[in-house]
Amino acid sequence: MSAPTVEVVTVRTFADAKDAYRHKDLRQALYDDGEVVMADVLVNLHGREHRDRRRVENRSFRRDTFDLYERELFPAVTDRTLAPYIEAGSVDLVHLGHELMLNLAALTAGLDRPQGTAEETTRLYDYTMLFIEGATLAHSTLDKDERRRCIHAALLEWDEEFLAPSMARRRTALARLAAGEIVESDLPKDVLTTLLRSTEDLDLPPEVIRREVAFLLLAGAHTSATAFVRSIDHILSWVQTHPQDAPKVVDDPLFVQRCIHETVRLNPSSPVGQRWALTDVTLKSGVQVPAGGKLVIDLAAVNRDPAVFGDTAADFDPYRSLPAGVGPFGLSFGGGMHVCIGQDLAAGVVPAADVDPDAHLYGLVTGAVQRMFHEGVRRDPENPPQRDEATARPYWGTYPVLLGAVR
Amino acid sequence: MALIARVDKDVCISSGRCVADAPSAFHFDADEIAEAVQPPPPGLSEETLLNIARNCPSGAITLQGPAEQEVPLD
Repeated sequence: MSAPTVEVVTVRTFADAKDAYRHKDLRQALYDDGEVVMADVLVNLHGREHRDRRRVENRSFRRDTFDLYERELFPAVTDRTLAPYIEAGSVDLVHLGHELMLNLAALTAGLDRPQGTAEETTRLYDYTMLFIEGATLAHSTLDKDERRRCIHAALLEWDEEFLAPSMARRRTALARLAAGEIVESDLPKDVLTTLLRSTEDLDLPPEVIRREVAFLLLAGAHTSATAFVRSIDHILSWVQTHPQDAPKVVDDPLFVQRCIHETVRLNPSSPVGQRWALTDVTLKSGVQVPAGGKLVIDLAAVNRDPAVFGDTAADFDPYRSLPAGVGPFGLSFGGGMHVCIGQDLAAGVVPAADVDPDAHLYGLVTGAVQRMFHEGVRRDPENPPQRDEATARPYWGTYPVLLGAVR
Repeated sequence: MALIARVDKDVCISSGRCVADAPSAFHFDADEIAEAVQPPPPGLSEETLLNIARNCPSGAITLQGPAEQEVPLD
């Protein structure tokens, strides 16, 4: 007996995509193959269940928290992470991007590394790479069932080594707060603490907390790491043809942020969005998706829609002007209920015309990329970058660069 | 013409962007759902309100002009 045929409708315009993302009868479908990590996590929930958890987790994703991260916590972590590579004078951007963003994501997720050793970080890095593989299993070119078993086993080991001790420390802190031994500002400002304070309200079983924190770790590390590598790649090419902008890459964080946004527009973390239609759905443009059908949002096309981004939509142009109400990163962060919770943390706030550069939030990717140009990042002519062959997604597999003054 | 902002509480996901961008015009209620301050504070431009409504990720914010007609955001 053959499986029933699913009607698949693909939208490629900005207007259709924005409408679809905000439609309440279209449910997340992107992570169906990645359930080993993604089952019951925030981006897979719908309706009231989603709204209740989002409201809780949003408490960890507010501007005052971002301010603390961007101005105090992240620069110190970036310094520590980069130091050995600056000393060595070279690094693979793909590895560095994941290591750096992992360190930052562990802070925001609430995962401690009490030993503070390189080996401990390497183990967390290896687990995170497996979780990334799990979440993006839909695009894997490997044996999916075998990978699923391997990733599930890793999830349990990671829980024992990293998550359980981090939870125990936060439960102790919450008990001390309840006993009046510490004050609110003494609590860690991370998502795990926020979740533990709301466990009863949200009715979260341990395996869901496990996957949720794993998801926050992989999402924070992976999307920012790929944006980090791609942004440096785009900027290196841009300054080759626009050498007058080379000083801006070092001195003008607003310009770097525009480059990050343009990179994210052209390279959405996932090349498509997918939704299941819960009922017969008709978008404002008249596009119809029958109940049970799948809507595919072709983000590569949406973010190059000439009706919105003009005739040069496919080009990288940090000076691009945009219509009102359109984000400079297109719809790469999604929209509607599942808009990326870490968008402002990663890419900063979109600057207003009267932006105060000293008070502005630029995002952690902007800070990390600009720091690399401070360190003289440039391609290694002996080792050209290579694409990742293990996935159909357009990732760099290796991107060797040199650091320091040109000899 | 003064615009009146309204937040559909069944749609709001508490992203907090409106509250961060215009704390005089939006705040969180006891359930951490965004709420428009009524009456709207003086001095907030229509352009600012329009941008806040357009940038609401869930599309929960609508704007009303005189005679309570809805202002198109697109």
